[in-house]
Amino acid sequence: MNQEEKDFILSVQVKNHSGVLQRISGLFSRRCYNIKSIVAAQTINPDLTEILIVVTGDDRVVSQVKKQVEKLVDVVRVTVLDPNSCIAREHMLIAVNRTLENRNRLLGIAQVFHAEVLYVTEDTVLFEVVGTPATLDSFVRLFAQEEIKKMLRTGTMAIQLD
Amino acid sequence: MQLNGSDIIMECLLEQGVDTVFGYPGGAVLNIYDALYKYRDRIRHIETSHEQGAAHAADGYARASGKTGVVIATSGPGATNLVTGIATAYMDSIPMVAITGNVGRSLLGLDSFQEVDITGVTMPITKHNYIVKDIRQLADTIREAFYLAQEGRRGPVLVDIPKDISAQVTEYEPKAPVCPPLPVGPSQREIANVAELLSKARRPFLYLGGGVMAAEGSAAAKELAERLDAPVACSLMCQGGFDQHNRRYMGMLGMHGTKVSALALKNCDLFVAIGTRFSDRVLCNASTFATHCKIVQIDIDPAEIDKNILVDSKLCGDARLIMEQLLENLPQQHHEEWMKQVDAWQQEYPLVQKNGETDYPTPQYVLETLDRLTDGEAILTTEVGQHQMWAAQFYRFRHTRQFLSSGGLGTMGYGLGASIGAQLACPEKQVINIAGDGSFHMNCNELSTASKYGIPVIELLFNNQVLGMVRQWQKLFYGGRFSQTTLEKKTNYELLAQAFGVQAMTIRTKEDVEPVLTAALQAEGPVLINCLTDPDCNVLPMVPAGASAEEPLLEM
Repeated sequence: MNQEEKDFILSVQVKNHSGVLQRISGLFSRRCYNIKSIVAAQTINPDLTEILIVVTGDDRVVSQVKKQVEKLVDVVRVTVLDPNSCIAREHMLIAVNRTLENRNRLLGIAQVFHAEVLYVTEDTVLFEVVGTPATLDSFVRLFAQEEIKKMLRTGTMAIQLD
Repeated sequence: MQLNGSDIIMECLLEQGVDTVFGYPGGAVLNIYDALYKYRDRIRHIETSHEQGAAHAADGYARASGKTGVVIATSGPGATNLVTGIATAYMDSIPMVAITGNVGRSLLGLDSFQEVDITGVTMPITKHNYIVKDIRQLADTIREAFYLAQEGRRGPVLVDIPKDISAQVTEYEPKAPVCPPLPVGPSQREIANVAELLSKARRPFLYLGGGVMAAEGSAAAKELAERLDAPVACSLMCQGGFDQHNRRYMGMLGMHGTKVSALALKNCDLFVAIGTRFSDRVLCNASTFATHCKIVQIDIDPAEIDKNILVDSKLCGDARLIMEQLLENLPQQHHEEWMKQVDAWQQEYPLVQKNGETDYPTPQYVLETLDRLTDGEAILTTEVGQHQMWAAQFYRFRHTRQFLSSGGLGTMGYGLGASIGAQLACPEKQVINIAGDGSFHMNCNELSTASKYGIPVIELLFNNQVLGMVRQWQKLFYGGRFSQTTLEKKTNYELLAQAFGVQAMTIRTKEDVEPVLTAALQAEGPVLINCLTDPDCNVLPMVPAGASAEEPLLEM
């Protein structure tokens, strides 16, 4: 087994019962698994929710996580997504300082990343960015820390291609 | 037919074949207890002194009978008092259904009197739990709870029922209970591969756990041991799962395992673990456990494979079925040399217990006498501590469901309640709770339950005036600083037992042992035996923390 630590995306289909998120998050905390992000998404079937969890660990950890989550009664199916064949997206709202000096650079960056400008004032621009986790990471890295007023980022949603 | 929620609960219990429940009444379960009154001819309710005792009794009932134990408690403190009992059952995979009342739905979430979010509290210690907020779901929820308790790896399930639900009326239609199917086992090919591995082993060692008992796999395990021509060790949870009179039986393995098991582990070339989860009490130090041999693990729970130790080969499914399938694929093996070696170790390293400075009879002598007088046929329950290990070491169990002990959670206070449950499940058997004086003070209130119902359990108390197991560790690793383990209680055990309506007897010397045990076994109704015990009598062998399970200490 590969002992290298990396991020895995678990796609967990659950019955839409009250407390199901608590059952899953409780399992993670008591078994000392690290949740990097968690997203509960509605599906086409109102009785089912798809929970997408990014877990950090090696192969043994992720196989344990999968088997433990599968034991929960409200869980219908657990899939460990293959990063090479799944489409992963995150959503980010980021407010950046706007100055005379940087305003053109901001717009240039926005263009490259297909970021939507949601709101502009004298000293602030609010961007909306959708992309892979890596894209969002590189977007954020283009700004100095003091330039960022506020950043909100969802967890990863991902879909496996057949 | 139209029934109220409480009557529906009773009908569902009857559907499942339940005739005995344990519990304690209270405000939120008034309706349920009203129904219990109405159904009292068909469902026997045993009222304990404390809800924890009721939960342990339901657990003991389940372990002794294989059926699902049922416990009922009121909301708030009634429900939280069940927690230790539920966690005990969860750790040992014991089928149990706990029914708790809660405040009415309109009062939920308002910090109402005796309100507690018991489904939230018990999430980590149940297979699953429910709060029923719609009367139409009640019957199916209870049925599902029983199904889940027995399905796959067994365990406790809790159903929380708000008070108004237990009074509401709805249509009830009886349904036959659904017996959970056995899990889909391994493929023919996987079986054949493992059978081949078994046939190639030159020094195989079979290790059996509680899963063998749960699967009723004793006979298959015996046959497998014969076919494989291998020695056998059992975990604490499988005491009696393999007849301990069989020459192949090596004793326990792990922290208080025998030297023979440790040697077998060290020298085997194939370690076959069936229905056991490699707990830290067995592995001791996972990095030095069975490093030179191949490991095969057979378990019903896929999550137990590769959890605590990486194995070379695995089979997931019902232990009995898999053993039977292996037997179909495995020709008779012959390992005369290996068995001769193991026999020699057996001769060389028998378990011999020594006292410190007192003349009290050794627990070994007491337990071996008990074994002889009961012909190894009694059901033993235990508390947790030295006496628990002694009971496992010195009584020679013959059958499954004969040794009921809190192995996973290690719950002091488990045994007396469990003995009451076991005795009700098996009225024809002699049930004896092996206790220490520390554990005794955690649950002695249940003596009143035994005497009230005339439940003829024997409480055999190894009274050494100390918390012996902790003290033993303090002796070894904490420089003999006996912090809070010298109990020096002023309790007069004989008078206390009599105050509860329980006969009392005392063992002071070796000469007392046989007559007192004989008298206790012949007595009608519950008996307490205060057996004076040396405070420096240790549990040996012992693997100290961090050391290898292959190298137990024989002396300290």
